[in-house]
Amino acid sequence: MAPPKAAKGEYIETDTGNKISRRSQIHGTQHIILGGKTVIQAEAVIRGDLFRTTTLPPPTDPNNPSAPAASSPSTPSVAITVGRYSYISKSAILRPPSRLHRGIYSFYPLKIGDHVFVGEGAVVEAASLGNHVHVGKGAAIGSMAIIKDYAYVLDGAVVPPGMVVPSWCIVGGRPARIVGEVGEGYGVEGAEGGMARERYRVVGRP
Amino acid sequence: MSRPFPYTYISCPCADTPVPDPARKRRSRESTQKPPPEQANTDQDKKLSAKDEQEEEDEDEEHTFDPRSPRSNFSLYPPEQLLYCEECHQIKCPRCITEEIVSWYCPSCLFETPSSMVRSDGNRCGRNCFNCPVCTAPLAVTTIENATGNGPQQGPWVLSCGYCLWTTLDIGIKFDKPTNIRSQLQKMTDSTAPASFDRSRQASRSYGDLKHPLSSYASIDGQSNASERDGEQAASKEDPAAPPMGMDARFAALKNFYRTQIAETSNSANDRLSSEFGFSSPGALNRLMSLYTTSSRLSGLYGGNKKPKSKPPVMREALTASEGLLIASENNEADIIARLQSPECGWDGMASIDQRATQSPDVRFVDDLLPLPVLLRTKRAKRCKSCKHILVKPESKPQSTRFRIRLIALSYIPLPTLRPLALSSTSALPAMAPTSDLNSLPPLRPIHVLLTLKNHMFDPVRITLATPPVTPGRVATKVTVLSPQFEIGANSDVWDEALQGGSAPLTSESRSGAQRGVPEAGKVWDKGRNWTTVVLEVVPGTLPGSSAENGNGDADTETNDVDVSAIAASRQDEDVLEIPVFVHMDWDADAQLDQQNVGKGSKPDDKVTRELAYWMVLGVGRIQASL
Repeated sequence: MAPPKAAKGEYIETDTGNKISRRSQIHGTQHIILGGKTVIQAEAVIRGDLFRTTTLPPPTDPNNPSAPAASSPSTPSVAITVGRYSYISKSAILRPPSRLHRGIYSFYPLKIGDHVFVGEGAVVEAASLGNHVHVGKGAAIGSMAIIKDYAYVLDGAVVPPGMVVPSWCIVGGRPARIVGEVGEGYGVEGAEGGMARERYRVVGRP
Repeated sequence: MSRPFPYTYISCPCADTPVPDPARKRRSRESTQKPPPEQANTDQDKKLSAKDEQEEEDEDEEHTFDPRSPRSNFSLYPPEQLLYCEECHQIKCPRCITEEIVSWYCPSCLFETPSSMVRSDGNRCGRNCFNCPVCTAPLAVTTIENATGNGPQQGPWVLSCGYCLWTTLDIGIKFDKPTNIRSQLQKMTDSTAPASFDRSRQASRSYGDLKHPLSSYASIDGQSNASERDGEQAASKEDPAAPPMGMDARFAALKNFYRTQIAETSNSANDRLSSEFGFSSPGALNRLMSLYTTSSRLSGLYGGNKKPKSKPPVMREALTASEGLLIASENNEADIIARLQSPECGWDGMASIDQRATQSPDVRFVDDLLPLPVLLRTKRAKRCKSCKHILVKPESKPQSTRFRIRLIALSYIPLPTLRPLALSSTSALPAMAPTSDLNSLPPLRPIHVLLTLKNHMFDPVRITLATPPVTPGRVATKVTVLSPQFEIGANSDVWDEALQGGSAPLTSESRSGAQRGVPEAGKVWDKGRNWTTVVLEVVPGTLPGSSAENGNGDADTETNDVDVSAIAASRQDEDVLEIPVFVHMDWDADAQLDQQNVGKGSKPDDKVTRELAYWMVLGVGRIQASL
């Protein structure tokens, strides 16, 4: 759990206590909301630039540069929301989900709750991750998947697109299936599932 | 799920029914005081004998918990999985509780299914939730992509898998509307197989779906029989739609048929019997009973003079398709074999065993696989097995994560967390890594681990820790708890904690090891409001057959490594360093019933001393094979 020793000054700490590695790649920062006390480790990729373009004329090219220009002044659409004490590990990728709807390929916001852990190298394209969700190392969460509170995604799992993982469930495998449930005490502060504050505190310490 | 190091497991006392006795343990702790000196100066070559001694000692000490014993597999749980019964004052593991279903819900659409519907839906979601029959991923309802326009999407709908890209088009199924797909599918699968002569089968009870040429005659018989039967007894058991070719429908027909058979056969003969003997139980039971009753009439019957008129009624088997009979077509098997051999089927065309396990038994090919409605899940309440006290009761709504009652062990027993101490125990060994690599602990080098116990009760707790001086098993690791007796302060309100801000146990980084000095025996390492940290000194033992045991660690490590690993593999996970720790805690609780948890009931008038004792296992790391 303990993150690797970082070089001094590796993390930028924002006013709300977010600790963001200088070596992370964050695109489209104006479309990302961090709830505070969130940790983003090195080489994590956060694609805030993939936000929803509310282009009304559908047959035109969605990459039309006029479209974002038209939408952004009115409503700065949010691509990624991250709650408090969430932890994005090294080389993880957060990507807003997308789908082809009525012939238009568009992105949808990605919401991440509080106390969420995203493991190393995981790829998250979910529509939402609830609170206290654990995404294991190397897991992939398919587009528009919904992971409810206290769900646990095992290392290396591939959650298929559109899957719903109910609360307290453990999913694993490729494609992911529900393989068990976490105990009732999961998520208690300091126990398994409740380590988010600890993780946050340790980050960036010499 | 195996956990990364360091981890802590707690042993539920249910594994050995006599609950661990603290008095007994104290004796063992006294006895453990003596062995360390003599073991400390054992030479390497005396190691074996020392180990033997140790083993004998362990046998005497039947209460020493051995994390390696096969039994302990069944008693060790991560702390968050354990519950606590306030009636029994005991830790309860998943093996000492019973469960009751609170609600059923579909894990995909998160809708609750009323318990009356669960049975009829076959424990599966009755809405639009399906799993891919090929890969089990959830299926999505999508339109066939001709509708790209803006208008309201029309056109046929299919179920498609986002993982393996299977769609119901592969088996030739389309849906007219995107809702209520399960009933649509049921209709289709029931009617597709018979090649569908008429759909108004409910009324007419057509039997045209039989494949066998003779069966039409049989079906006529059957029909007459059935009509007779219906006429006879004004059957209350109306057949559910007699098109029996669908698997489910055929099963239902057969079930129905046998039920009526039983009723008929027992009735025709047992009208008499039942009236005579006054039985009103089902026919099958009647007939069984009549075999064993020693009534004069029946004993006469079986005694010899068999009267033909009292011949027991004979049940017949299903004769017609309406009754659920399916006659295998003549070259059915040959057809299957031919299809297996055909180039377009091949290996990929065959359904795998996993796929067939969830389908109807005669499915053999991928083309026959049907989408599977999602199995329902349950929310369950948990009760103590011995006193029936309810321990966990979740809210019944599927979306809710809250509990009405949740008596988890973590609210009662201190939460253990383990952490290696980042400073090397002896400064003479500067080369020692900051022990962060718990997966390769060098043998015979002392390390220190910090054990933090955090109290969640609103009463201060006195703790006594005890470990066997040497861990059980072949790898003898020496363990010393530097301060085995200490107190943990009471937990206070959540608000206090929030206001005080980060005072949680592991934040003592500011007082790093250098400032705090070396760990001392008899001194608590660190202490907070409701937590206490103590130091364990651990000297990892050597793996049997490792080069470290021979004393020369450098030259022949390479060659030894092979057989070391071989030996290590021979006993699985022997290199895992797990320390059994006996925890004894006592505290003064309010005598009022079950007030410890609430804490608000501050009645200091009468206090009761409670105690609780259990074993826990600290998984420190993995011992390196060689120095």
